[in-house]
Amino acid sequence: MAGALTRFFKGAKPQFGIVGPLVNSNAVAVRNQQSQAQAPPAKTRGSPLADCDRVFTNLYGRHDWRLKAAMCRGDWYMTKQILLKGSDWIVNELKTSGLRGRGGAGFPTGMKWSFMNKPSDGRPKYLVINADEGEPGTCKDREIMRHDPHKLVEGALIAGRAIGAQAAYIYIRGEFYNEASNLQVAIAEAYQAGLIGKNACCSGYDFDVFVHRGAGAYICGEETALIESIEGKQGKPRLKPPFPADVGLFGCPTTVNNVETIATSPTICRRGGKWFSSFGRPRNHGTKLFNISGHVNTPCTVEEEMSIPLKELIERHAGGVIGGWENLLAVIPGGSSTPLIPKDVCETVLMDFDALVAAQSSFGTAAIIVMDKSTDIVKAIARLIMFYKHESCGQCTPCREGVSWMNKIIYRFVDGNASPKEIDMLWEISKQIEGHTICALGDGAAWPVQGLIRHFRPELERRMAEYACTYGPSKAERLY
Amino acid sequence: MLRQPLTRALTLSSPVRAAPLAARTYAGPPPPPEKFEVFIDDKPVMVVPGTTILQAAAQVGVEIPRFCYHERLAVAGNCRMCLVEVEKSPKPAAACAMPIMKGMRVKTNSDLTRKAREGVMEFLLVNHPLDCPICDQGGECDLQDQSMAFGSDRSRFTDIHFSGKRAVEDKDVGPLIKTIMTRCIHCTRCIRFASEVAGVDDFGTTGRGTDMQVGTYVEKMFLSELSGNIIDLCPVGALTSKPYSFAARPWETRRIDSVDVLDPLGSNIVVATRTNEVLRILPRTNEEINEEWLSDKSRFACDGLKRQRLVTPMMKDSAGNLAPVDWEDAMVAAARAIKDCPPNKLLAVAGDLADAESLVALKDLVNRLGSENTCTEQYFPLDGAGIDFRSSYLFNTKIANIEEADYILLIGANTRFEAPLLNARIRKAFVHKETDIAFIGPKVDLTYDYTHVGDSASVVKDLATGSSTHEVLKRLESARHPVVILGADQLKTPEGAAILAYTQELALRLQDKLEDKNWKVLNVLQRTASQAAALDIGYQPGVGKALQDGPQVVYLLGADSGVVSRDQLPKDAVVIYQGHHGDVGAGMADIVLPGAAYTEKRATYVNAEGRAQQTLVAVSPPGRAREDWKIIRALSEVVGERLPYDSLDEVRDRLAEVSPALVAYGDVQDNNYFAQARALSQSLQKPVSGKVDVQLKQLEDYFMTDTISRASPTMAKCVQAVLKQKQSQY
Amino acid sequence: MSFLALDKWARLFRIIKQNGGIFKTTYKLWRFDTLKEGTFVGSDMFGNKYYENNFYFFGRNRWVEYHPRFAWEYDATHVTADWYGWLHNKTDNRPCEDCAKYYMNCNEYVNNWLMPFSENLTGTEKAYYPWSTVNHHICVWDGCAMCNRQPKK
Repeated sequence: MAGALTRFFKGAKPQFGIVGPLVNSNAVAVRNQQSQAQAPPAKTRGSPLADCDRVFTNLYGRHDWRLKAAMCRGDWYMTKQILLKGSDWIVNELKTSGLRGRGGAGFPTGMKWSFMNKPSDGRPKYLVINADEGEPGTCKDREIMRHDPHKLVEGALIAGRAIGAQAAYIYIRGEFYNEASNLQVAIAEAYQAGLIGKNACCSGYDFDVFVHRGAGAYICGEETALIESIEGKQGKPRLKPPFPADVGLFGCPTTVNNVETIATSPTICRRGGKWFSSFGRPRNHGTKLFNISGHVNTPCTVEEEMSIPLKELIERHAGGVIGGWENLLAVIPGGSSTPLIPKDVCETVLMDFDALVAAQSSFGTAAIIVMDKSTDIVKAIARLIMFYKHESCGQCTPCREGVSWMNKIIYRFVDGNASPKEIDMLWEISKQIEGHTICALGDGAAWPVQGLIRHFRPELERRMAEYACTYGPSKAERLY
Repeated sequence: MLRQPLTRALTLSSPVRAAPLAARTYAGPPPPPEKFEVFIDDKPVMVVPGTTILQAAAQVGVEIPRFCYHERLAVAGNCRMCLVEVEKSPKPAAACAMPIMKGMRVKTNSDLTRKAREGVMEFLLVNHPLDCPICDQGGECDLQDQSMAFGSDRSRFTDIHFSGKRAVEDKDVGPLIKTIMTRCIHCTRCIRFASEVAGVDDFGTTGRGTDMQVGTYVEKMFLSELSGNIIDLCPVGALTSKPYSFAARPWETRRIDSVDVLDPLGSNIVVATRTNEVLRILPRTNEEINEEWLSDKSRFACDGLKRQRLVTPMMKDSAGNLAPVDWEDAMVAAARAIKDCPPNKLLAVAGDLADAESLVALKDLVNRLGSENTCTEQYFPLDGAGIDFRSSYLFNTKIANIEEADYILLIGANTRFEAPLLNARIRKAFVHKETDIAFIGPKVDLTYDYTHVGDSASVVKDLATGSSTHEVLKRLESARHPVVILGADQLKTPEGAAILAYTQELALRLQDKLEDKNWKVLNVLQRTASQAAALDIGYQPGVGKALQDGPQVVYLLGADSGVVSRDQLPKDAVVIYQGHHGDVGAGMADIVLPGAAYTEKRATYVNAEGRAQQTLVAVSPPGRAREDWKIIRALSEVVGERLPYDSLDEVRDRLAEVSPALVAYGDVQDNNYFAQARALSQSLQKPVSGKVDVQLKQLEDYFMTDTISRASPTMAKCVQAVLKQKQSQY
Repeated sequence: MSFLALDKWARLFRIIKQNGGIFKTTYKLWRFDTLKEGTFVGSDMFGNKYYENNFYFFGRNRWVEYHPRFAWEYDATHVTADWYGWLHNKTDNRPCEDCAKYYMNCNEYVNNWLMPFSENLTGTEKAYYPWSTVNHHICVWDGCAMCNRQPKK
């Protein structure tokens, strides 16, 4: 309660401009980027990544994940030195690297951490690591946690040093039993080796890492809902402002980062921000874990350079679309909450933040869901909406009522038992949800529908016509 | 248009919210925070940092629709009705939660804003049943009003013909609140009220998404003495009043401003009547007393006004049964009894609900007959300063100032049940100002944490003399605004005088040390609405001494608490009862004169702070009942000692003669003379050994404490329900 | 003839004659403030006599002479329901000529429920007062019961 009031009265002015994905998804940004592009190294597309440039060297679990093996792979190397260089250096290095948050919104990590460097008011600071990887199609964090947990633990320490946190809370999804267990073992190893805990890595810096297992709610992957959940309350997103950087976990300044972001940061610090920014197009630097699932021959999670063309990614790593590229229907490029893109867009689109925004979609978590022509695309999207309806926390009106309404409508669309006029209505409803909710779940539920209507309107109309042919005009036709 | 009047939002949102009351000058003016300019619909407005868009808009008279936002509750921001466009922001912002920033330009009437509102309204109505004709909230429903103002004119919800609307099982939360949960729009106002103001964490949400439900999880009564307020808070008809269900539409009722008399605070109320019948009682905003809350007894005991009423004069017949008679006969019989009685054998006793006018009239009559025996039922020690100083028996800190207190010591005062809204204030201070509370008395649930200092009276003595080693003493001494509240119940005991003396000593010792010289520490919390006025007028507290003299005629002015009983009186004593309910007093009377209840007369009541307020006539007295002071005036004529006032104004002139404070309506005067009272009570500081006990310990004790609430079937149901809930395993 | 208005004088004498002489005529004029001549049509259960004379224009052509026992206390409601229709030109049938009324009165069942005609007693001791069918919202103390108090602990 008192927390709510503080929330209410303490404004968080500095970061008001950053309202999440929408600002970043501004088309203006793309133009700016082109004009500001530094002349010589600016890449226009990514290319396949050399093995020596991979951050996650045990992604497939071919090696041992325990401390000893991890140290062989270079983890915990020079961590003390990095810590001793101080928080400004780390933040600067991150800023140089151009790392953008890997959780979906793509907020520059260096900038996010720099928000925490305000003069202390006596409250402790916390680092919260979002390992509640619940987005359908996304399976990158789990690979890190089960095969490379020490990267995460080390990253937590470095990120914690950068923001001056006392402790890190890793909020791990309840379903990730083995991952949580591996991670817990890794943390225990790190404690025993003196890498974290009191005087972590002998750097004089005290840092604790706690694992908190969730109970399986998708919404707990939203940063403020995650904070509420760690606090032991219902996982319902808080109002922003104040942002977690002002009032976060237990009312203290908090930074919430994705697992991949954190796990990448030690390598960036070791190899330098310049190295990291040499990958990908400007504003979209670095390497990224891509998850390719759906109708491909070899679904996989793979680390690749940013800005790699989607087609190349699928063909090279996933063995191509089942039945050949021509059999492709559509791709959901960034996890279930992003709008799908049809085949003709897939031909050319680059896999990075700006290119996908230009394609009216979003990079999200880079979880590519490939759908071939055997897919019932309406039903596929309807299933996604049902997921969002089920996972809506029910706190704010547009999401609670709107998503369940969309769910009702789109399941009628699956059968075609609807009026073509309702397609526009559904579009409007999705627009009424988008941007009107407390958190981004409403947006995430609205976008797949918008993508469907944008690209597959003829399919919807065909179904309705078919239904009318078979059963006579839909009841909705008469009512609407 | 909206239920919350704009003026209120204005006063609450104004930058001087920190010290809105004239009485709060003691703290010294805080440095005014720097204001900056923002634009609401291109109208410039100067606001302090931290103001929300909604409050800033209220300052320029722009009303932003809202459901979940309430000035006195935490901001939830979940209804999204208050979305407004903010220039240079891609998304609309929730006006209730978004703090305003320098130079912000808010558009409350732009296309984006209106679209957002319309969208939210459409979503709210998707699952809200359109059963307004059979909904009790109809006519005073925020959703109804706002859908008229901001909604769309047609429905697009075709799915009603395919899958229908959501339906939710109704909850049983006790005999006062009727729930129709299908109508719930999940604004969570009730949840926030329960956990923040009432301090009873019974409500919450279960389920997720469209399956989310507001409720108690297990079927459980809402065990609070403030539960009725969630009916007012609910913006739709999900929570409505059970006793009032289907009784009337709001536009059918006449609303009369009045004052509550069932607890000593004198909460401001609105009496809704139709066809000369009190239908319900609602709170009326008064920042200095009840804010906008009302306790359950005050709100729901109004059906007691229709039960057990005295509607005609009565006299004992030859068989000893009371039988209806004409006013003339009753008056003549009463006058004869009074005339035949030697003056020193005449005793007048005033009860809990007596108004100041009838009190002064009765006292004048008795005095004119040569007697000084006018008493109240409640006792107050007369040793030392006694009732000579107003400060000795009033709530000097004032109710609103409790919020400023930083340490509160309750001595035998279970404020939760003796004055629920005072307790809500203390809880408010506890929650928002981090005020700490210590309690002396039996362990009770006050809805907030407190330091239990013990239940022995000697604790008071130790604190007063400074010999206590308890940390409470240190905290009290270091507090900037300490408050000591003594429950009036303690004064009845043989050690009452000593406890009062020690309390005065303690409070004055603390007060002397304060930097803030205007801060009052000492408070005595009376139990009844009449006591303060009666003591002001000069009634003797307590009947003990007068009863020992063996009075021949006892005139009971609504005295029903049972302190006078037949077996204490001589066999041939005549008891005249004047009042409105057949209870203990009327049961033992020989002559019954039917008076008017507080909703039926224009009368003055003085609350525990010493604030005079008046009730207004909402309905006429039933049958042949009459206003109380008129009965006494008429009786004086028959007795032959005509009282010199014929109209209410003349009675009030007489009241002003007795004490100007009695007719200074709405005002409360600062009390002084603490030091004198302390000096006079020095000799009373004797060793004490008893226990400090409170009369109302549990919720079931709270509901029936006076004639009106004892006659109320609703209150009886409440007691039953609470007892039943106690049996339950939850 | 017309100058002397002899026809009017003649009618006056006829009226006096029909009403039974100068004193009875004066008495009637005193009672009813009017004098008329007409054919006797019938009388009702109170003994009121009904007359008709179509010489008078419509509306005045039928009248009642109340039974002398009513003296000056006669009242429009002394016209029985039977004759009401005829008197007000609703029907030209006298009660005895009305088949429907005849059969109705013959029917024993009807007499079970049909109350005998009575005059309007408003303003008298026996006046009809309607009573409220609504429950009293004030419940009066019976003089002995105590309020349900809580059990003393």
